[in-house]
Amino acid sequence: MSKVKPASLPPETVIGGYRIVRKLAAGGFGVVYLALDPQGQQVAVKEYLPASLATRGPGELLPQVQPDKLSLYRLGLKSFFEEGRALAQISHASVVSVLNFFRENDTVYMVMNYLEGASLQDFIITARELKKQKVFRESTIRSLFDEVLRGLRIVHQHKMLHLDIKPANIFVTDDNKAVLIDFGAAREVLSKEGSFIRPMYTPGFAAPEMYRRDSAMGPWTDIYAIGACMYACMQGYPPNDAPQRQEKDRLSLALSRLRGVYSDNLIEVVEWCMALDPLARPQSVFALQKELSRETERSYTKLTMAEKMRLQLDNLLGTDGKAVKTKPATGKAK
Amino acid sequence: MKFSVFQVSRRGGRSKNEDRMGYCYTRESGLFVLADGMGGHPDGEVAAQLALQTVSAYFQKAARPTVDAVPEFLASALMAAHHQILRYAAEKGMLDSPRTTLVAAVVERGVIHWVHCGDSRLYLVRDGELVTRTRDHSFSEQSHLQTRPEFFNRNILFTCLGSPQRPIYDLSGSVSLQQGDKILLCSDGLWSPLGDQEIVNHLAAFPVAQAVPELAERALRKSGSGSDNVTVLAMEWETPDVFESTRGISTDSLGEGVFQSTIQGGGGMEAADTVPSESDDELDDAAIERSIAEINEAIRRTAARRV
Repeated sequence: MSKVKPASLPPETVIGGYRIVRKLAAGGFGVVYLALDPQGQQVAVKEYLPASLATRGPGELLPQVQPDKLSLYRLGLKSFFEEGRALAQISHASVVSVLNFFRENDTVYMVMNYLEGASLQDFIITARELKKQKVFRESTIRSLFDEVLRGLRIVHQHKMLHLDIKPANIFVTDDNKAVLIDFGAAREVLSKEGSFIRPMYTPGFAAPEMYRRDSAMGPWTDIYAIGACMYACMQGYPPNDAPQRQEKDRLSLALSRLRGVYSDNLIEVVEWCMALDPLARPQSVFALQKELSRETERSYTKLTMAEKMRLQLDNLLGTDGKAVKTKPATGKAK
Repeated sequence: MKFSVFQVSRRGGRSKNEDRMGYCYTRESGLFVLADGMGGHPDGEVAAQLALQTVSAYFQKAARPTVDAVPEFLASALMAAHHQILRYAAEKGMLDSPRTTLVAAVVERGVIHWVHCGDSRLYLVRDGELVTRTRDHSFSEQSHLQTRPEFFNRNILFTCLGSPQRPIYDLSGSVSLQQGDKILLCSDGLWSPLGDQEIVNHLAAFPVAQAVPELAERALRKSGSGSDNVTVLAMEWETPDVFESTRGISTDSLGEGVFQSTIQGGGGMEAADTVPSESDDELDDAAIERSIAEINEAIRRTAARRV
């Protein structure tokens, strides 16, 4: 269904005492504005306005929801509240904080602190285009994830899982702080047992248990995503998604290309976090922090000649079993 | 996909409501399910709830965004629900296991399939006529079975989910839906007092949002103070348009769709007499206000901690 996106509120509109400066972003769930609070402080205001369910003409304030979509609209609102509830309980420099929540214009608004900077995804894309051997320096990766993990640990302490950690949801501020954002997927699941089901996940960063909804999610589920983010910081690209890996796991091979570029310890940490078996991963953020901070002398293991050849061959052959065509030594050509 | 759907569950004269109903969907596939927890055994409402949760969890897993092998899916989801109930009974060390009926339908690509076990029914109505309905697994409805009526209450069910015997179930063939077709799922609390004709007439004459509550009301009135739980879920098939869901919709919330908690975010097994319908705006508004107040309270508490 192709539809016109609902119009965002124009600058200078005042909602709940906040004056809109400009639109920052728009997603499927709503619009985020830069706004000024009554004291003139910059804030980010997130407006619930699901593009698929609501319409709003340019210059109008009130969104229109078709009667047959009203119940869906209300259900989506529930998720929006869950994000607010999750964030409201947490006060940590590495987790975006929510300042206010209010209802106006027949919808609801969440006021958050305004972050200046860019997402880790933007940084990765910029860095990989430089085509250097390293996407980021190892020390950068370590200190970045040290901060992210501090925030994530607090999230887990509040019995919540983020469940959508990916470079796009890690914000790096202009004063070099990493902040976890977008808790739209976070749910209080650690306290509940049984069949919790989520429809959303990001391939490459979602742990295998997010696909098999019957198995238990826990801190290890977010930890898988952390490992995948670190991987993306090293390779410049996201890892293969979990179902692909379950079919044929090329993670070790891909990581072995990074040997000598990044320390053995960092590579091992990524491999540990991204174990397909949830039990084989660090079971808590603390366990991972401990390993990551255990920075003794970094050792680098260079590839052996045989390994280099295998890698090259692998590059030549692409990713699946189309090996036969390019094998020169066997038999005659057709 | 585009359809309208309406559901209602009423406790009637019973002390609790052991019926459960719900629906969920992806962009291209929809599941409609209803279970009637059986009296005479413990925890009927748990059995019905487990059945609903299991089937919807299965659906959530299989529908990406279509289920494709729908009959196989329905059969395995039903059996999974059965096993889930048995597991519950085993874990609780129960001498007798909870039991429930189940009727479930999946619509995708304009085609419907359904499965049922017990006496919860599915009706398919087209142009004011009953196209088909399920046959209960009772001796009175399955007359081809050899029975000795003198020993049997003919309305007694010979199969259900949760019993030590493997459930017997019937799978439908595939039926292509036409615009305006109506599908109704109900517990025996509805069909028993009303009968097919009244159900069909009513369903055909009014939009589902009107027909469903009215049918439930009639069944309750007819049965009087001793009325069984009455649960009805009906869907009208509209046009093969795309139906977009938001990320907030999951079986998580819809599996619990039986409760008032569907929309309000609360949860749990509190028995709701009447499930809020799409038109119960007052209730939703109150819940929205409550949620906002709670969140702001949490923000204040957190800010106070920070200072």
